[in-house]
Amino acid sequence: MDKTTHFGFKQVAESEKAAKVAEVFHSVAAQYDIMNDLMSVGLHRLWKRFTVAQAGLRPGMKVLDVAGGTADLTRLFLKEVGETGTVLLTDINFSMLREGRDRMLNEGKTPPAVQCDGERLPFPDNHFDCVSVAFGLRNMTHKDQALAEMHRVLKPGGRLLVLEFSKVWKPLEPAYDLYSFKLLPLMGKLVAKDAASYQYLAESIRMHPGQEELKAMMETAGFAKVSYHNLTAGVVALHKGFKV
Amino acid sequence: MIAEGLIERSLNHLLRQSPGAAESLVRHAGARVRFDLTLAQFDFRIADDGCFSEAVVDVPDAVIRPTPALLARLPFFGRDSLRHADYSGDPALLATLDRVFKQLAWDVEADLAPLVGDIAAHRLHALGRDALAGFAHTFSAIGHNASEYLVEEAEVMARGVDVTRFNRDVDTLADDVARLEARLNRLQARLPENAGE
Repeated sequence: MDKTTHFGFKQVAESEKAAKVAEVFHSVAAQYDIMNDLMSVGLHRLWKRFTVAQAGLRPGMKVLDVAGGTADLTRLFLKEVGETGTVLLTDINFSMLREGRDRMLNEGKTPPAVQCDGERLPFPDNHFDCVSVAFGLRNMTHKDQALAEMHRVLKPGGRLLVLEFSKVWKPLEPAYDLYSFKLLPLMGKLVAKDAASYQYLAESIRMHPGQEELKAMMETAGFAKVSYHNLTAGVVALHKGFKV
Repeated sequence: MIAEGLIERSLNHLLRQSPGAAESLVRHAGARVRFDLTLAQFDFRIADDGCFSEAVVDVPDAVIRPTPALLARLPFFGRDSLRHADYSGDPALLATLDRVFKQLAWDVEADLAPLVGDIAAHRLHALGRDALAGFAHTFSAIGHNASEYLVEEAEVMARGVDVTRFNRDVDTLADDVARLEARLNRLQARLPENAGE
């Protein structure tokens, strides 16, 4: 019998989760950016800029953007690493990756875009100066395996940045729940014509490990000096760890 | 975490703006530097390009401890206040760091220009520079007036020159007493054993 895992609040066979997540992102890819702006009132742009500011990038560095989707981080990373650096945009979902790649092409940039699984990265050991995963780890079936892979491809001294929804400040929970479970699906229905995917988004956020749990997972994967910073009262947290 | 990231970003930005600064650090690539602020420690490694990179450091090659005096003087005296920091570790690395820190210069105008345009950046910078100079002048004048009042009018504090003279007089007196004591001892030693009886 196949082991089970969560898909939002539902339990599904592990082998089915990736396909179900893929369905969600195939469905929302075209409206992904506009929905991000609507849902976060534009705050996701600040969260991502903060992430890049913590990446410590300099010209010539190699960066891997795991689950990079519509390339928000990739675009910012490219500015930091300059002509001599490399930013690899990856995503398991072709629809999302195509959105990101086309967006980059429309801006006259051609960073390599690779469709691959974050749990089995097709890159050599000790290769990247920085690996980032923004709003992607939550959707991975084996988060520990994905973290171990990101650790493997990082150079010693390199850093991993995980930007992800997290546990919101307790007093704000009722309002946040109301927003997530009532307003989000409604916005999804009206704008993206897909309420179910945004219901999944709200549920998957609740099932994702909190700040301390994710920190412990990163330490177990081999990262040192792991720290996190809450953004917008813990709606989102940025975790940072180093490979030694 | 934020602080370390911000320090790293700011330092590297300044290094890039100061010609030759990062190049001076290239020969120390791989060296580990710790900024020890007592309450928090920030560890960096010098990267191959001479920039600072946040790192995991067990044993640093150089430790820089900004003292309270430095932190208090930094806003008013800028780079000149860096000599108040405590430095320990590899002397060659420390000498380079000292030289590099003293040559760091923030090109405010260059950073403002992409945001507001060249002309506005130039004027804003000039405005800020004049305001800071005015503030420093006012602060210095108030300090000077206060010290003058305490020394000359209220006479609750001694002037530096008087303290120095007093210290010099005390030293002279101590030397005279020591000489006299030695002379007395010598005379005492010359006297016959029963001379005083």
